[in-house]
Amino acid sequence: MGSRVKIQSGYLGKAAIEVKAGANRDTVKSLLEANKEAGIVALTGLDMAKKIGLMYHMCTNGVIVTIKTEIPKKNPKIATISDLIPGAQFHEREAADLFGVIFEGHPNPARLVLPDDWPENLYPLRKDAKIDEALANAETAPRQTEAVQAESEGDIVNIIIGPQHPALLEPEKFSVKVEGETVKQVEPRIGYVHRGIEKAAEQRTYLQDVYLVERICGICNSCHAACFVETVEKILGTEVPLRAQYLRTIILELNRLHSHMLLLGHAGLEIGYETLFQYMWRDREPVMDLTEQLTGNRVISSAMTVGGIRRDLQETDIPKVKTQITTLKKKMDFYYKLFENEPSFKIRTQNVGVLSKEDALKLSVVGPVARASGIAIDVRKDEPYEAYGEIPFNLITRDEGDSWARLMVRLDEVVESINIIDYALDHMPSGPFRVKVPRVVVAGEAINHVEAPRGELFYYVKSQGTAYPERVKVRTPTFANIPAFINIAEGGNIADVPPSFVSLDPCFSCTDR
Amino acid sequence: MSKLATWARLKSPWVLHFNSGACNGCDIEVIALLTPRYDVERFGIKLEGSPRHADVLLTTGSVTKQCAERLKRIYEQMPEPKFVVAIGACACSGGVFKGNYNVLDGVDKVIPVNVYIPGCPPKPEAIIDGVVKLLNSVKEAKPNGK
Repeated sequence: MGSRVKIQSGYLGKAAIEVKAGANRDTVKSLLEANKEAGIVALTGLDMAKKIGLMYHMCTNGVIVTIKTEIPKKNPKIATISDLIPGAQFHEREAADLFGVIFEGHPNPARLVLPDDWPENLYPLRKDAKIDEALANAETAPRQTEAVQAESEGDIVNIIIGPQHPALLEPEKFSVKVEGETVKQVEPRIGYVHRGIEKAAEQRTYLQDVYLVERICGICNSCHAACFVETVEKILGTEVPLRAQYLRTIILELNRLHSHMLLLGHAGLEIGYETLFQYMWRDREPVMDLTEQLTGNRVISSAMTVGGIRRDLQETDIPKVKTQITTLKKKMDFYYKLFENEPSFKIRTQNVGVLSKEDALKLSVVGPVARASGIAIDVRKDEPYEAYGEIPFNLITRDEGDSWARLMVRLDEVVESINIIDYALDHMPSGPFRVKVPRVVVAGEAINHVEAPRGELFYYVKSQGTAYPERVKVRTPTFANIPAFINIAEGGNIADVPPSFVSLDPCFSCTDR
Repeated sequence: MSKLATWARLKSPWVLHFNSGACNGCDIEVIALLTPRYDVERFGIKLEGSPRHADVLLTTGSVTKQCAERLKRIYEQMPEPKFVVAIGACACSGGVFKGNYNVLDGVDKVIPVNVYIPGCPPKPEAIIDGVVKLLNSVKEAKPNGK
């Protein structure tokens, strides 16, 4: 790497390495040589007036290392790293869409998040992009209609799933090419839920952004809010009171509980086992009640705020919460019996959609998907945040790597979450639950990651010393797990697509933002 | 004959759910309606997968530009008479995403809407209330016209 490298410490992970534009590949290569299990977390683009900054946030042994580089805006070309780390493909396509960076040698530089009729050469996250003007002047005439291209070539039949499909809660399109019963190729078209939240976050104050980022995903909303406020607190240097950390932990675990139970029920629906769906969602309702009791809302909790939490826990609430979670824990025995013994459930999930450990590492997958393939990663253990450092809990892993293992990991985590809430309630410290923070955030930048129900959620925030952030970058867990779906589905049976798909717990409102 | 059709429509409306760029918050509440605690099937409301069989379209989410075309197509595929319920602040007006570069600020910018249910997300009770209000308006309307 030579003298071009400057190692700094700071908020950009354990180390930030600045390299020249041409050296990004070599740096990634040497990182991979040092640790074969290294992967990419995110690729952050940054508008720096005449230049475009690119930050490769790499993950090695559970810690994040950032490789920074700059390219001229007039000629934004850089070599791809997607041949070294296949998981980087989607990251690069996103940066190409939003910043207009050209990745030389990219295998499939197609549009990822922007709509089909988006004008050429308009990159929304560039500060000088005149979006309204460009959209008004754009040729309104022939909109490229998203016609159903279900034509077949010889024996290969192209099946289009989505954007509206009974099995998909969210609008996304998948073209699945099948030969007989075997899936030959899967081509996802995401971007149907792209709302431009990263841009919108730059136009709102930090406090408004807490509510905006919560609405990136209604399922893991608290995790988004917590990750964002923690990042801002890192820039501010705010020390959050211990009581607030415990309260945040409880809200985050309630979030995980409802998300995992939602998915386990949904899995029942996808494999044609509707009773499981109805039972699981019935038992999930008490979790929604608890969220409502503690935060005031069933779904979007709006509990987090910069400097602490918005509502204190009442002493009178504790017994009620405890009874509810104890009942829930007892009910889990029934689901263990069902998941481990029910033949109709096992036939549809065991040995279906196997993701080997090697592939999982190569594709940089996160969360329960990685843990079901035997990779022991969990941000709560690797870099404990909030009160997780003080609370004992088990890191769940399984080695099978199939759909069944992915669902079982979640079932185990439901029990762990209940234990965490129980412990946090017993050891709740007294004291204030929030501190006052200035509205204007000092100049600086920070990264942060938390373990959302679907895996590692990553935020990057840059402040210029105003009340508005300069840049907010969000890398959501499903964004990292989509390449794994392609890997799992290809070569498998078409009928196995729904169970293996749902076992990844995809969330597209997260993915598209 | 039309009396009979109205009666059938009121007793068992088939609904189609389409997410046109929502955060999933409203969607999970719509799904919660079908599960044991709220169980709207007791009113004969049935979730249907195909627009061609649906009477009521439940839409959630601020409409993204990529979704708008499809939303319109789904509406056009539904048989007459058809009704649209916009669920959540985003579907009503764009909500927190109003003014973003890739959203159209509400379902009514693309297709006509009969009932608006505000909230972020609205509680399942509110959604049931909205659907019942829609059914009542169908009952009061004269046959052969809205």
